[in-house]
Amino acid sequence: MVEFTLDGRPATASEGELLVHAAARQGVFIPTLCHDDKLEPYGGCRMCVVDVEGAPRPMPACATRVAPGMVVSTNGSTTDFRRTLTEMLLTEHLDPNPGGRPNELTDLAQELGAEAPFILPDAKREPYEDRNKLMGYEPDSCILCNRCVRYTQEVMQCSALSLEGRGGEARIVPTWGKSWLDTECELCGGCLSVCPTGALHEKFLTGADVEESALTKVKTTCTFCGVGCQLDLNVDPATDRIVKVTSEPHYVSNEGNLCVKGRFSFNFVHHPDRLTEPLVRGEDGELHPATWEQALQVAADGIKGVIARHGTQAVGFLASARLTNEENYLIQKLARNGVGTNSVHSCEAT
Amino acid sequence: MDVLALTPLLAELPTERTHLLDNLGRIRREVGPITPELSDALANHMNLRLGDVHEVVSFYSFLQVPVTTYRVCTGPICDCAGSRKLLEQDGAMEVPCLGHCDLAPVATRGDTILPGGEDRPVTYATSVGPALGLEQADESLTDYERRGGLAVLRALPTAQRIVEELKAAGLAGYGGAGFPTGLKWESLLREPAPRVLVVNADEGEPGTIKDRYVMELRPHLLLEGTLIAMRALDCPEGYIYLREEYATARARLLAAIEELRAAGLLDGLTLDLVVGAGAYIAGEETGMLESMEGRRAMPRLKPPFPTQFGHLGRPTLINNVETLAHIPAILQNGGAWWAALGRDGSSGTRLWSISGAVARPGCYEAPNGITLRELIDDHAGGATEEIGAIVPGGAASGILPPDALDVPLTRDALREYGSGVGSAAVQVFPRSYPVLRLLSETMRFFAEESCQKCTPCRIGNRALHHLFEQLEHGEAVMPRWQVDEWLLAMEKTSICGLGQASPIPVRNAMRIWPELFAPLDGVVST
Ligand SMILES: Cc1cc2nc3c(=O)[nH]c(=O)nc-3n(C[C@H](O)[C@H](O)[C@H](O)COP(=O)(O)O)c2cc1C
Ligand code: SF4
Ligand code: SF4
Ligand code: SF4
Ligand code: SF4
Ligand code: FES
Repeated sequence: MVEFTLDGRPATASEGELLVHAAARQGVFIPTLCHDDKLEPYGGCRMCVVDVEGAPRPMPACATRVAPGMVVSTNGSTTDFRRTLTEMLLTEHLDPNPGGRPNELTDLAQELGAEAPFILPDAKREPYEDRNKLMGYEPDSCILCNRCVRYTQEVMQCSALSLEGRGGEARIVPTWGKSWLDTECELCGGCLSVCPTGALHEKFLTGADVEESALTKVKTTCTFCGVGCQLDLNVDPATDRIVKVTSEPHYVSNEGNLCVKGRFSFNFVHHPDRLTEPLVRGEDGELHPATWEQALQVAADGIKGVIARHGTQAVGFLASARLTNEENYLIQKLARNGVGTNSVHSCEAT
Repeated sequence: MDVLALTPLLAELPTERTHLLDNLGRIRREVGPITPELSDALANHMNLRLGDVHEVVSFYSFLQVPVTTYRVCTGPICDCAGSRKLLEQDGAMEVPCLGHCDLAPVATRGDTILPGGEDRPVTYATSVGPALGLEQADESLTDYERRGGLAVLRALPTAQRIVEELKAAGLAGYGGAGFPTGLKWESLLREPAPRVLVVNADEGEPGTIKDRYVMELRPHLLLEGTLIAMRALDCPEGYIYLREEYATARARLLAAIEELRAAGLLDGLTLDLVVGAGAYIAGEETGMLESMEGRRAMPRLKPPFPTQFGHLGRPTLINNVETLAHIPAILQNGGAWWAALGRDGSSGTRLWSISGAVARPGCYEAPNGITLRELIDDHAGGATEEIGAIVPGGAASGILPPDALDVPLTRDALREYGSGVGSAAVQVFPRSYPVLRLLSETMRFFAEESCQKCTPCRIGNRALHHLFEQLEHGEAVMPRWQVDEWLLAMEKTSICGLGQASPIPVRNAMRIWPELFAPLDGVVST
């Protein structure tokens, strides 16, 4: 436990805790743009600077660890700096809403009453078109916070996005300016999820560009594999259709990270061919809707029939890759104890 | 095609990431400019992600252009000398200060420096210097020893003694920041050994030519200072980070290192040259460490300082070339002797790079505390034109009016002008060179060289460049109070010295020449 002073009041932090977190726990919200809890402290945007007694200049709260006896002020000269820095960022923020994702910069500008005094003559960046169907990128919205790039390097380890160049020409692009599809990208969408301005955004289904705040979030578990990532289906209330999938950093097991399946493969939900109830093949050779009870009974009868004719070793179980460990355990139990066969396999094993 | 040409070379290239910049430099020289295909091939060889190498390649100005490119300096002194005319040549590339301001306007093709854009020899203008003796070049280690060289290295005092002498001398780093060298060495000694030494030979501050003079004229002197530091401070690993454009210095250092190796003076130590690739910010000490570790040269947050967490996280001493070159003389003659060479309450001598409107631009060893007038008249042969503005110590040090000619060049005396001695690169601009042009060119330089990590520097310098370009046409894009706010944010919230210092010349000029900034008062904020 570390004791320090925050805006004139005594405060505590845990050993090595970042100032921005310690302050938040005491109810003091310090704005950040380039910070992301999943990433190493970076301290680039300078939005979070606070005065620390004895330091020659303000310190970034997102990259400063609380030291015993530290005297921190978040509401002195640094509030002016925040407005100035926001004004600066706005001088090249040509497109505030490219794809419906929240924009922390314009929110901050509104809160601080910041406006761009002019638009930089070199604000316009080279347009970027990508033939992939899932992720879009609008260079004119990017504030070069480098969160996406650092995510690709530190979390996903694909390094498929680069901070390219130096000076006014610097920009974010997939490796060598190619399409994501021609890089080491696996289309997990993680870089997109950490972008604070929406410069990186979903372009999947119509409706993905609806303001995220207007969508209804339905929390659920991804059904594609045993990891069981938690995610939010974002449903457009106007059409009652899922338009995108997001996930939150505090969700257990995946901490807001998803893979391409969980993030982008949800179109089956609304597909006309999707099975939504059990079907049983009748005497007529056609499939007919049934209850779960009826369907399971038919399956059990079938298995029993095989056992009666050919013995237990004629039955084998093949489990889906989408099952969890626990479900796989139950399958082998059903196979060994219920049926009495050792022929049991999961396609995850191959 | 390119990739095929790379294949035989590839097998020779080391795969540690610390060799990335070096590998890229070799491919550029031996195969050709780095293309995406070459970059990807190297990434695969080094087991790096393709994007990691792309990021690094794109950071440096030279990796994607041929070695033989005609590069024209458009630094302020060369611009003032009309270098932009040289840009008319086909395929010419604009580059920031080439460190040959005494020969302005300069260009380079490959490893050849072209004074005035022509194939003429590089000449040196020096004065007799008590500590560095640049007036006479050493052709070999024998030359150097004949002048008393290696005496200190061969009878090395203890680290504690050395620190005491450096403190008594009052030597403060000559890279620009002026941090007391004795204190820096002492703080390194508090960290666990083995430690690392990095010599900052990236000399990029516009107007600064002094480290080149040392390396080209007295390479052994720098190396003796370097080896003293390595032996005394227990640094078995040493690096000299040299800017790419200094080909003569590179050759001289390599030859001198071989001589020292043959003499057994490197036994137990490794001393390697790391050659840059065109990035001013790699001269900032933590940007340099990032560059040496195979990443973009983007400065780190401080603290921790390099002495605590440096090259690959190890305790690391970073000193400027000239700083180290003074050390043999200080230890030979004593700190008190060296301190007494200074004037006006300051200690010792230093190298003054003088360029611009003077008769004999060059690099002169003279006391700290000397005045501009003495430097210009007694060393540089006098002004050739009516003086309009003087930049005392590199782009970020500030701008002085002609009435500062008799002020002693010390940190304290210049503080009154809101300016500093910086890297002691005195640039004399004639009245005919407009101050707004100087400012706008300076801000363009900072904007182009900004590493882009932090908002105030990344956008502030581009905005100031825009502001001064418009002011040249009598127009103001923002009101004065807002300019002041932006300057303050740059100074206080930028990560490194680049963004922190770039407001200095602006504030100086606003105070000295208020009439140039009158349009700022006419803007009504929106
Ligand atoms: C933008 C920037 C560029 C710099 N460039 C150089 C340089 O080219 N050479 C140098 O010696 N120091 C340079 N420095 C200063 C170094 O960061 C560092 O202070 C110096 O190398 C320390 O050596 P010294 O103590 O011997 O001066 C630069 C600093 C900044 C902020
Ligand atoms: S989508 Fe995922 S894999 Fe592709 S660049 Fe972004 S983080 Fe990397
Ligand atoms: S694309 Fe988004 S996350 Fe990436 S640097 Fe730009 S604003 Fe930041
Ligand atoms: S398929 Fe992907 S998103 Fe879904 S649970 Fe598995 S890892 Fe998570
Ligand atoms: S001040 Fe400029 S050069 Fe230094 S870290 Fe910030 S952006 Fe990079
Ligand atoms: S959030 Fe702290 S510097 Fe960007």
